Amino acid sequence: MSRYDAIVIGARCAGASTGMLLARQGHRVLVLDRSSFPSDVISTHFLWPHGTSYLNRWGLLDQVLAVTPSHTEVTFVNDGIPLTGSVPDELLRAYFRDWHGDDSGVVRTYASVRRHVLDQMLVEAASKAGAEVRTNFTVRELITEGDQVVGVRGRDSDGQLVEERARIVIGADGRNSFVARTLGLPKFDERPRCTFAYWSYYSGFDLGPAQLHRRGRLACAVAPTNHDQNMVLVWGPSEWSREFRRDVPGNFQRALDFVSPELGEVVRTRGVRAERVYGTLDQSAFLRPLAGPGWVLVGDAESAKDQCTAIGMTHAFRGAELVADALGRWFSGDVSLEAAMASYEGRRRSQNAAAYYDYVCTLAEMRPYRHDELQLFVALRGNQQEIDRFVATHADVAPVSEFFQASNLLLLNDAAKETSAGYPVFEDYPATARMYQQNLFA
Amino acid sequence: MSLPELDQRDDDELIGTILAAAGRQDLEAMAAAAAEVSEMTRNWATHIPWDEFDSLDETALNEVVADLTQMWEPVDLQVDADEEYALDKNAYDFYRPAGRNLMTRTEEFHGWVEARRRTETWQYSRTLEAAPNSIAQITNDIGRRTRGINFNSQDYLSFNTHPAIREAATKAMRDYGPHSAGSPMVLGNTRISDELEASLGELVRAEQVTLFPTGWAAGFGAMAGLVRQEDHVLIDRLAHSCLQQGARATTRNVVRYEHLNVEAVRRHLVDIRRRDSRNGILVVTDGLFSVDADWPDLVTLQRVCREHDATLLVDVAHDLGSMGPGGTGVLGLQEVLGDIDIVMGAFSKTFCSNGGFVASASPALKQYLKMFGGSHFFSNALSPVQTAVVLEASKIIRSAEGDLLRSRLRTAVTALREELTGHGLTCMGEPSPIVPLLIGNEKLARIANRLLFDRGVLAFMVEFPVTPTGSSRFRLQVQANHEPEEARAAARIIADAIADARTYLSSAFGSTER
Repeated sequence: MSRYDAIVIGARCAGASTGMLLARQGHRVLVLDRSSFPSDVISTHFLWPHGTSYLNRWGLLDQVLAVTPSHTEVTFVNDGIPLTGSVPDELLRAYFRDWHGDDSGVVRTYASVRRHVLDQMLVEAASKAGAEVRTNFTVRELITEGDQVVGVRGRDSDGQLVEERARIVIGADGRNSFVARTLGLPKFDERPRCTFAYWSYYSGFDLGPAQLHRRGRLACAVAPTNHDQNMVLVWGPSEWSREFRRDVPGNFQRALDFVSPELGEVVRTRGVRAERVYGTLDQSAFLRPLAGPGWVLVGDAESAKDQCTAIGMTHAFRGAELVADALGRWFSGDVSLEAAMASYEGRRRSQNAAAYYDYVCTLAEMRPYRHDELQLFVALRGNQQEIDRFVATHADVAPVSEFFQASNLLLLNDAAKETSAGYPVFEDYPATARMYQQNLFA
Repeated sequence: MSLPELDQRDDDELIGTILAAAGRQDLEAMAAAAAEVSEMTRNWATHIPWDEFDSLDETALNEVVADLTQMWEPVDLQVDADEEYALDKNAYDFYRPAGRNLMTRTEEFHGWVEARRRTETWQYSRTLEAAPNSIAQITNDIGRRTRGINFNSQDYLSFNTHPAIREAATKAMRDYGPHSAGSPMVLGNTRISDELEASLGELVRAEQVTLFPTGWAAGFGAMAGLVRQEDHVLIDRLAHSCLQQGARATTRNVVRYEHLNVEAVRRHLVDIRRRDSRNGILVVTDGLFSVDADWPDLVTLQRVCREHDATLLVDVAHDLGSMGPGGTGVLGLQEVLGDIDIVMGAFSKTFCSNGGFVASASPALKQYLKMFGGSHFFSNALSPVQTAVVLEASKIIRSAEGDLLRSRLRTAVTALREELTGHGLTCMGEPSPIVPLLIGNEKLARIANRLLFDRGVLAFMVEFPVTPTGSSRFRLQVQANHEPEEARAAARIIADAIADARTYLSSAFGSTER
């Protein structure tokens, strides 16, 4: 018999959480990561309210919020049309009842938390729950017997070759997953178009809740995060990345000034940058098979999407609860592994999941907002209930299908309190649309 | 931990340096640059052996170069731009056209439709080459012909080929000619119009019947006739378009309640009555819902409405004639014949003709709707041929032959549902002439639809705005003339087409709802 029930490869949002939840159920868990902690990793590190709710359900939120600012309202400004809203309590509760069967621990706040802060807390929580966590551990091989994955071989922090076996190996090792690559898993539903994203950290100003601005094919966001700093992020279509890269700091500021002159001004005149400018283009979306003999994937390893809705960590937490629940039922002998994995797959590959995947992938193409989309934003102005539902839909709390339903869109129109008259973008829209197609950095 | 220094080189530059060094096989320079790469990126790209660049063999070096190149300059996959455009968009993307010229601003939508047509993913505007039966011969919108098992026609009892129906049409043509030549309020009706009203009244046990030229006109007209600006409409989210638009046209006080949720209706009624004791409330639902194939609990719904002085309108377009004891539809199944405030229906599904009706027990309501419903007064009456066909249909529906036809229909429905379910597919709702086969993702549905066209099955794919985004499906409409084996064969073809479409799109998404 194996020493472990489960070996989790990867000790960040998906892995440490899965390890912690399984250990809390009393299972013998080994969690491995090649990094040491605390350490950073490329991330928008934004937790939507269901993300923070997961932390709260696990008893970790207070610790996170003790060092991390959090807010409830978020502002979207699309081509000068502002919408401020928050995710409603009842939609959050419905979400948790639907996904996990109970709505305990729901909070409405979101937070931007640095990964060197959060991941360390998750790793500690996994250890405290009884999981054995080994960092600086590089997995080199999966041990197989026939088709079945039965363990791992790797090098521990002292450079020793080590072999460990378990009933299941959980790949929680990100979009470039070692487990997936070693097993030669195919990718499905690939969407090559994505955004390029560049960001850094600034002190010197406090703008309150997070803001997301969008103009033409570019976007920027500012969110208050740890150490009294702000994350400032700009993104645009991958087709423009080559030109952007020619002068990263200069184009970073140019993008800010174009998308939101006000925010550009704040960053230019008051912002003090604390770190280098980071960037990534490695964001194309895909799915992988979720599970097979002796292995299962969770988090970005099984399905990665563009950063543009900042949903990755929240989805990783959701995946951790789902997979820990499914595996727990198998460990306890209630269901077969196949049945447990089928229920996990059913949820992760559902119609609603597909609709949200399409929503993110389409958004990530960063086409300019169309006239009718902008008019929808105008129609939403003053309709707080529907703004909130839009925010909840954008964050994957409420299903895309309920907001984007014909009779709902017609009603939104009819209930509109404002007209397009007050927004200059509508003045000569065709000319503006042509201008938006031109690469700002060329 | 020590935060990275502000003035360190950007990862972009460092990766560029690494790739350039790799080109020169300069492993030392690669390792030196790798040491400067940010912790963020090193921890993200865990598949790159950042600390081992100085000892790479040739294979490993090539792998590193390939992986880094893919991360830094991913090659966009080759895509068919037309097909991508056709598959990515939804009709709602074009709901608000831009510009002050009402004519030219429709062109963008037209461009999208053309892309859908070129890629043969446009499911609309197919035409028939002959009378639609269980097999039909059709031409698609770009002129390509096919022949297939037909689930694309709404003729649940196969009346279109029934000799008595055709004879009734011929006789009416001889007696009255093709034209009704006027509004039913003026001189558009004939003696058989009165006979038809009486026959329908007996069928739904609500004798005060008003005829309308289409089913759409009946639904819209009923609401336009009854509801005023300060009144309230509570309408099932999935109720038919004519009722949704009727609601929008008559009042701003519209609540769309969760599909079938009678408890939600009760809560809304309590809420409205708390605020408003003066004005009317119309609660609107379908009987058999045509996209989900389910129906509400009408017993409770009607009771709840009465408790709050609300009026209930039920649209029985799809179930009347085709289901229930004696063809009485969902009303008969739930034993509420004669109990429902207002019954509205259409002839186009089972009664073999255009047209619709509104029925109630109230002569006053009937007169009022005729005057104020708009679409009754200000439309030409049903033609004599249409009237005669519907009258004959209503007679057959209530006869022993009607029972036989419905039983054949049920057999075909069961065969179709069983075979589809046996292939692991999801049929929504209850057994009824409508079999909604859930697909979900629009792209998958559009490609499967394209494949089906050449494989001998005619099915209508429904997507937004008929269904919510991401919830597309095939709506299979079964007929009494479908042989069970025909239905099973079609189900197998459909299952194959969906599997092939999934392979074509390389999609891993399934069709379960949540």
